[in-house]
Amino acid sequence: MTRADHILILLAVCAMPLLYIHLWFGEEPAGLAQIRNGNNVLVIETLQPDRMLHISGPLGESTVEVNNGRIRFASSPCRTQVCVHSGWLTNAGEFAACLPNRISLTLLGKDPRFDAINY
Amino acid sequence: MTSQLSRLGCLLLVLGIIGCEQQNDPVYRDQFFAFGTLIDISLYGVEQPLAESVCRQIEQDFMAMHASWHAWQPGSLATLNRHLSALEEHTIEPTILPLLMEAQRLSRLSAGLFNPVMGNLIALWGFHDNTLPLGTLPDKTAISEWLAQSPSSNDIAIDGTLISSRNPSVAYDLGGIAKGYAIDRAIEHLREAGIHNAIINAGGDLRAIGKHGERPWRIGIRHPRENGILASIDVSGDDSVFTSGDYERFFEVDGKRYHHIIDPRTGYPAMNTTSVTVIHSNAVTADAASTALFVAGPDQWWSTANDMGIRYVMLIDALGTIHINPAMQSRIHFEPGINAEIRLSAPLQ
Repeated sequence: MTRADHILILLAVCAMPLLYIHLWFGEEPAGLAQIRNGNNVLVIETLQPDRMLHISGPLGESTVEVNNGRIRFASSPCRTQVCVHSGWLTNAGEFAACLPNRISLTLLGKDPRFDAINY
Repeated sequence: MTSQLSRLGCLLLVLGIIGCEQQNDPVYRDQFFAFGTLIDISLYGVEQPLAESVCRQIEQDFMAMHASWHAWQPGSLATLNRHLSALEEHTIEPTILPLLMEAQRLSRLSAGLFNPVMGNLIALWGFHDNTLPLGTLPDKTAISEWLAQSPSSNDIAIDGTLISSRNPSVAYDLGGIAKGYAIDRAIEHLREAGIHNAIINAGGDLRAIGKHGERPWRIGIRHPRENGILASIDVSGDDSVFTSGDYERFFEVDGKRYHHIIDPRTGYPAMNTTSVTVIHSNAVTADAASTALFVAGPDQWWSTANDMGIRYVMLIDALGTIHINPAMQSRIHFEPGINAEIRLSAPLQ
């Protein structure tokens, strides 16, 4: 066991609490959104930077807005507009769907507050 | 000294592994569109190859059921409806029989408030399709004629796979229980595959089994009138949480909302209720009960719940008052800031 080994072990001991803090208690970074288009196309989008996404479905083009770490349906060709009225998704696990245009948004995260939403 | 340092090294390695363990999300999540809605599957602690395989099988099963059970598109149920409207006997596929039996059982338990054969009335309102109606009210005379014929599940005779009707206005529309039945089948499928911790969520109606690791599954109930969550429920074991609401499918005429939950006694949407949430271990029962209790309304939900064997109910009436039974109140956690009037009922038996 050399002096370098001792220093290495000392550093590892010091780094251990940081590892726990980072992986168990750390804030979720900017976040990701899963965008499903029909049953086949799946896209994972980061929530930075702010931008507009244009996604084609069977009815036409839905516009999805990413803003300040949030995501929402900004416009939709569907008649019901339920997806647009769902508003911003801000917390991990939240989702919104445009059933007529078969597009869904799901906010991904490590430990969402809810495992499922009933409505 | 070297030995002690080796032990320390091993300890650090173990602690490091534990520290990293949380990084892997133990929930496998899959989504697909079926039954005109989004199906969301969460599986806890299942290896990815098995999870992918079982989710694809469930998807295929949902697609097949939807194709077969749609009341107005070519399929088993549409064929059956054609024969029933001509008062002809018809032999159905054995696979659809359990669904029809369940529909009849639940309709009788609800004294007809859940009516699985009011397809013609639902079509008059335009709610039989996955797209919303154009926003015109149905002809009053047509509704009166339907009410005069008053089709109910009592008009149906089931003899093995032979189905007959004595009322030509009978037309199956199983939208009130099809999702629940499909969810129950999917849960059976998961269990056969050795998966015991899962949620199947079909457009907001769900059944959760087992737990999320060491903690219960956490279910949020969306507010019927505002963005965000009204309350939450923990599930560890086996519970179906179903909500029927007037916000799901509706159109407005002259500022008045006409939604898709039609009262078979009046022929018009049940207007005294905003939403009903029920919990029951069986999804198909929860599905039918949420519809029946919605129609029953604030004055009649309690007796209907008792008749249907439902032990957990929350009904929000048209004025926003929350009607709830004590067992449900003990399970539900309202979000901070929810200050609606709460009326506690007598215990359900």
